[in-house]
Amino acid sequence: MPIHFKNLHKAFGPKHVLQGVDIEVRDGECFFVIGASGVGKSVLIKHLVGLLRPDSGDIYLDGEEVSRLEEKALYPVRKKCAMVFQNSTLFDSMSCVENVALPLRMHKGMSMKDALIEGERRLEQVHMHEFCKAFPAELGDGMRKRIAIARALTLDPQYVLFDEPTTGLDPISARRVDKLIQELSKNFGVTSIVVSHDLTSIFTIADRIAMLYQGHVRMLGTQNDFRSTQDPIVQQFVTGEAEGPMEV
Amino acid sequence: MTIQAQPLTQHHDLEDPVHEDDRPRTLVQTMTAPLSAFGQDMYGLWTLLRQTVQAILQGRVDRESTFAQLYSIGNGSVLFITVTMIVLGMILVVQAGMQTQRVLPELSLLGANIIQLLAREFAPTVCAMMLATRVGAGIAAEIGSMVVTDQVDALRMSGAQPVDYLVVPRLIAGVLMTLALSFWSLFIALMAGTFAANTQFDLNISTFVNFSFVNMGDYIVMTLKAIAYGAAIPIVSSQRGLTTFGGSEGVGWATTNAVVHSSIAIILLDLILSVFGYIAFPPV
Repeated sequence: MPIHFKNLHKAFGPKHVLQGVDIEVRDGECFFVIGASGVGKSVLIKHLVGLLRPDSGDIYLDGEEVSRLEEKALYPVRKKCAMVFQNSTLFDSMSCVENVALPLRMHKGMSMKDALIEGERRLEQVHMHEFCKAFPAELGDGMRKRIAIARALTLDPQYVLFDEPTTGLDPISARRVDKLIQELSKNFGVTSIVVSHDLTSIFTIADRIAMLYQGHVRMLGTQNDFRSTQDPIVQQFVTGEAEGPMEV
Repeated sequence: MTIQAQPLTQHHDLEDPVHEDDRPRTLVQTMTAPLSAFGQDMYGLWTLLRQTVQAILQGRVDRESTFAQLYSIGNGSVLFITVTMIVLGMILVVQAGMQTQRVLPELSLLGANIIQLLAREFAPTVCAMMLATRVGAGIAAEIGSMVVTDQVDALRMSGAQPVDYLVVPRLIAGVLMTLALSFWSLFIALMAGTFAANTQFDLNISTFVNFSFVNMGDYIVMTLKAIAYGAAIPIVSSQRGLTTFGGSEGVGWATTNAVVHSSIAIILLDLILSVFGYIAFPPV
């Protein structure tokens, strides 16, 4: 298994968010992590790239334990494991093409000129070439998200972590993002871990799904497993019922 | 720096944010908690200063960003500082003149004393206090917003170190511009004071502008203070920004703390450097 979260524990003050999470992600699959808000989905994926450190437990990426690596040793990890953040997180002071060029300059040591040329090419791939010189504040949410995805893919990563990629997008933009994630897996063999609440996305493109609840993995399985489950808590989440046994 | 009204936990190692449960559980912990928090705070500031200086020494300086900060901190503050120092210079001269007249009938040495006071104390310290309110708040708000919207994490994912990109340009600009603005403050306050002395006490310009009490030691103390304040404001404010936690409310607390803690840092540095100055370079 290329990615393995092993008995992961993480607390923020008195709140024990992850209480022994065990998840293995297979090569090339589109793996969804679902659960109620604040359950620790984003916290989980941030551990993989060293943005957070676990209190205990191990994280293996391609067989290497990465949770205790120093900041510099994490550079190669972040090079092959990109992340698309929830709010796009483009840098306001940089134009769109400069945003996309930044990882090329930093990780690959490209000159500014070469990085900008490559950045423009990458923006073409997500049909955002005409907005190269625009600043993020001038764009809508959907466009910002596409540029954030272009930035994440600029280093041709093996793994991409998507933190709520369709949140805040209109249905058409959301499905376009879904399609892009699916194409990454099918056409380029990229392994995607997607944190999401979006039931349409989950039941369209997920190969496997893990549901987090009260710090543990409540259920792990395929779309069909989740559709046919008898677990009342999972059922409530999947059907989106307001009333039920789930404590939020 | 223990003015901590917010319930936010602070993580000091930028490379490994640690959120600790700081709720005291025993009597001893209750009593030592503020001391422990202060110690952690100081360690966090020291770590950030060390990392920033290391980055500068290793040449990891983004020129474009540094020039932008020089403009923002320096040019953006000139008018604000100028107005403040005009008012301060005039009030200082009028008040000092009136106090002196109660004891002595003549004011021939008023200018000499005022210039020394401005050089040693008021020009760098008041200038820095003003910069702490304008620049410190801006730094903490900008970096704090970046933290709560994951932009700092995105920087790390892009292979850029937040310290290099966010703190180094601000530290360089802070030191250079506080130094420049301190000397500008001295000049402006002196001009305004000369005008006040002339109109209020009929003192000639040549009598008031008297540098006989000012020696190289005064300028050295002034320079040291300006450099120390210029480093303290961006480091304290950046640290408050980088440890922001809790959304927009957290950004608000970070901004408030940046101004309060930068001001306290300036006052403490003023005390330390004034004592050092009076020992190393006794006034004439």
